[in-house]
Amino acid sequence: MTTPAKPTTGEPIAIGQIGVAKGEGILRTFVGSCVALVLYSKRHRAVGVAHVMLPAAEGRAAAPGKYADTAVAETLRRLTDLVGDTDIACTAKLIGGATMFTFQSGTPIGDQNVLALQALLGDLGIEIVGRLCGGRHGRRVAVDAATGTVTVETAEHGSETL
Amino acid sequence: MTEHNQALLEEAFHHGAEDGSAALAKWLGRPVTLSVGRLEMLPIASAASVLGSGDEPVCGCAMGISGAVGGLLLLAAEDVAALSLADTLLEQPQGSSTAWGELERSAVIETTNIVGCAYLNALCAILAPEHDVGILPSPPVFLRDFPAALMEAALMEQTHLGDTVLLANSEFRISGTSFRCRLVFVPDAAGLQAYAQRPADPEPRL
Repeated sequence: MTTPAKPTTGEPIAIGQIGVAKGEGILRTFVGSCVALVLYSKRHRAVGVAHVMLPAAEGRAAAPGKYADTAVAETLRRLTDLVGDTDIACTAKLIGGATMFTFQSGTPIGDQNVLALQALLGDLGIEIVGRLCGGRHGRRVAVDAATGTVTVETAEHGSETL
Repeated sequence: MTEHNQALLEEAFHHGAEDGSAALAKWLGRPVTLSVGRLEMLPIASAASVLGSGDEPVCGCAMGISGAVGGLLLLAAEDVAALSLADTLLEQPQGSSTAWGELERSAVIETTNIVGCAYLNALCAILAPEHDVGILPSPPVFLRDFPAALMEAALMEQTHLGDTVLLANSEFRISGTSFRCRLVFVPDAAGLQAYAQRPADPEPRL
């Protein structure tokens, strides 16, 4: 039986950053309207997590983890570098994309982030096997590198495992 | 942004913090100390931890701001401190409030309304004295969430501009208690760009 990752321990992934781990270890981050993109290779027992803030880089090369389009490519690149294999056969999980403040108008940035990631992953043929998106609350995310198990906790809306 | 505009902005937020502090003191009937009050340009990751980087949720009240200076105003405090504030306002013994019921939430929302409006009035008087619409706040929204998640969402409107964020950061302490809360104003991208491009005032008001 898999033991869920403890959300309070592990390597923190800062806002707009990317982290990867292989074999063991926990990657953790907090998301509100941002989205935690989790790519997991079962074959290599390796995981990459990007903390995505905005849907598109629009030519900006710095901070690739910040934008959905550059985050997907960069996380895949770091994963392949980590495992030394270009055929990593990974799956994806998406967590976050909340609309934290009800007074904000227009299409919520959280929704835009989720839609952008779904489209990008679809284009690459990467299956999304778990998602916990939307709502009006933040999430604490912990990812177990060995199993790809994602533990998601909230302040007032319970916890779930993906 | 010109040096003049930068100085005016700093002065405006400083006055905002002072007036917010005075309003909080009047509202509570107790002396309040403004221990921090500054305008900061921070890397996004640093800005995201302004409310703390811990795992414990905090309570916060947010107001959306539109008009001459748009953005988001967030008053946040640790649970224990905010519940203590609710006890003070509800005139009940300290420690009576242990969970976030309607009364406790109302106490924090009203506090945010009073402090926030005093803060914004001070900003408006300096930055937009002749602006037709001034500065318009939305009703405060109560939230209880992880500090990093709250700040991340608050910063979102400005992250389009680059990898640093400009925010005004103030901390209030109520004398004789352990209560402290943080008031953060994050100008939005459009307001910040418009302000940066506006010509220097030939007759500074300060």
